[in-house]
Amino acid sequence: MSTFLTDPMNNILLNNTPLLLLNQLVSILYIATTYLYGAHFFSDHQGAKRFKQPFLIGTVLTHVLYLGLLTSIEGYRISYSTMNLMTMVGFTLTTTYLFTELTTKSDKTGFFIISFAAGAQLISSILTTQIQSVGTTFSGIGIGVHLLAAVFGFSAIAIAGIYSILYLLLFRQIQQNRFELFFQRLPNLEVLEKLTMHAVSLGFLFLTITIVAGIVEQSASGEAITLFEPKLVTLVVIWLLYGTGIIVKPVIGWDIKHMAYLFIFLFLFVTLLIVLMTFFSPTFHGLTFKNGSGV
Amino acid sequence: MNIISVGVNHKTAPIEIRERISLSEVQNKEFITGLIGSGLAHEAMVISTCNRTELYVVPAMHEVTCEYLKDYLISFKDARKEVRPEHFFARFYCGTARHIFEVASAIDSLVLGEGQILGQVKNAYRIAAETQSAGILLTRLCHTAFSVAKKVKTKTKIMEGAVSVSYAAVELAQKIFSNLSLKKVLLIGAGETGELAAKHIFQKNARNIVITNRTLSKSEALAKELGTNQVLPFESFRNHLHEFDIIITAVSTKEYILTEREMHQSMLKRKLKPVIILDLGLPRNVDPDIGKLQNMFLKDIDALKHIIDKNLEKRSKELPKVHAIIEEELVAFGQWTNTLKVRPTIVDLQSKFIEIKEKELERYRYKVSEEELLRMEHLTDRILKKILHHPIKMLKAPMDTTDSIPSRVNLVRNVFDLEEPNQSY
Repeated sequence: MSTFLTDPMNNILLNNTPLLLLNQLVSILYIATTYLYGAHFFSDHQGAKRFKQPFLIGTVLTHVLYLGLLTSIEGYRISYSTMNLMTMVGFTLTTTYLFTELTTKSDKTGFFIISFAAGAQLISSILTTQIQSVGTTFSGIGIGVHLLAAVFGFSAIAIAGIYSILYLLLFRQIQQNRFELFFQRLPNLEVLEKLTMHAVSLGFLFLTITIVAGIVEQSASGEAITLFEPKLVTLVVIWLLYGTGIIVKPVIGWDIKHMAYLFIFLFLFVTLLIVLMTFFSPTFHGLTFKNGSGV
Repeated sequence: MNIISVGVNHKTAPIEIRERISLSEVQNKEFITGLIGSGLAHEAMVISTCNRTELYVVPAMHEVTCEYLKDYLISFKDARKEVRPEHFFARFYCGTARHIFEVASAIDSLVLGEGQILGQVKNAYRIAAETQSAGILLTRLCHTAFSVAKKVKTKTKIMEGAVSVSYAAVELAQKIFSNLSLKKVLLIGAGETGELAAKHIFQKNARNIVITNRTLSKSEALAKELGTNQVLPFESFRNHLHEFDIIITAVSTKEYILTEREMHQSMLKRKLKPVIILDLGLPRNVDPDIGKLQNMFLKDIDALKHIIDKNLEKRSKELPKVHAIIEEELVAFGQWTNTLKVRPTIVDLQSKFIEIKEKELERYRYKVSEEELLRMEHLTDRILKKILHHPIKMLKAPMDTTDSIPSRVNLVRNVFDLEEPNQSY
């Protein structure tokens, strides 16, 4: 079943020069944008401050082009593979961050979000050079919504996790009277808390959509899925924890610091799970599709 | 032509000396009017603040030296017993320009980057202008200093960050809460420190400020001054602690006015929503154990001083940028003063050619028609302009050293046979 490269001549990138160039360009742009955001955050570099947003916009636009060309291989249908999942995660993280930066005029957390997105895109680029096909493709609104919502859901989990880390770093610096870099550059605690809770709310919404769309699609197709598959179990657990977090905080005032620990744990756990499943169980809930290889 | 500056400031003399030599606005006017009136100086200005009394003079005689001016100021203040010439600094020409640029841009201040000094320099210039003691040189010097200060303020971070305890307290509050206008503030103690903190937090849009003080009339007076009109009796403020997001304490007390038990209860009532307590009292007003409560930020003066130190460190790192701006403006100012030196020669040169033109045209006044005379005049004007263009351009050209100015001036004067200029300065 493996789609990993056996013959370099069959690789989707090596057979498609524009796709290869865009793939490389997107990765380079992510690295450059991460560098600019980092240089501004850590060294207060004025040149980086000036050019970072144009670079970010350029990266997003190039990524749109890349995704268009990538999906065009299979007639603009969504495909399930780690490579696609990672590039979509990178894209959704970056667009979400760009939207936040443009609407809130706050550009202080960009490095942390974009560096994670850059990591996801680099993994995707590396994997793309190793495979022969784009993965199992799907058609139909239900499965499309399920996959997209899952990607957005993971991005929201990542953002909540990253903002929780920043919240705790700033919290500790203030508590310990270490008024250093994070104290000077990060937005205030209340803003970080709001950003975290917004990400959690969005994450809950997207995970709900993922679950509902998955159930609807499964009922419609009549395919049997493994209910105790780790991805499914984790999805439901996170959905429950996020939902509890959203309800509990305003009602009994659960300490945001402890919630931050939970969100960081969930983020790391999901990331680890995705990485592990990429190598040990790269299947879509153990399903077999008519138009795909055995997955 | 020279500009001399002499003065006493926090770097050269202790506070008693600075107090003894400082000039009030009335004395300032009297002093500079006296200097100009007695023919000792063409121009004069005095910057007198709590940290400095500095005299800027364009002398009218060779006898008016730094030592002379120091002695003149000491005599004026009748301070021979306390103040000695060693308490003064002295600068000349470029040194003077550099010094006033540094003063205006607040890098010569006791607290690096403090914002008040520019206003004080502007005030000194206003007094000099009102008494007609500021001529072309001091006016240009002061305006360049204002422009330097503006550039420094906009292009560097020398004035960023809190450098006083009350400002640091507000800065810290802003690092926890995003919008102070939505937060409820309790000020315990309406003394000088409390008042300052309340005013600073009010400037940052906090409007819901409740004041409590042992003497109710004092808290009412401060609440009225701030326009919040919210006070709480000192005996009952503890019952309302859970309502406040920011608590500032600045009272003189031997016992803690806020205990860990009270604040624990208050935190439970407010569902663990974060609270910041800024303890500005000495001895401390608040039980330090409160700082261990969840979502509680307790900061005393020592903690706030950490913020001040960090901000001062950050400001110090901006010094090279400030010096670069000053250097740039010094070069421009130096070039401008060089043009002052060549200006009499340019005027003489133009006058000489205009005189020749008028004499020659006069010979034809009755020989040609009025219309033809007008045409001849236009023609000669154009010729003169072209002839004079190069020598004037050469005189005005930027010079590497001031030594080259006399040689250029002499060359032009000899070539065009100009008379020796009158020394105005």
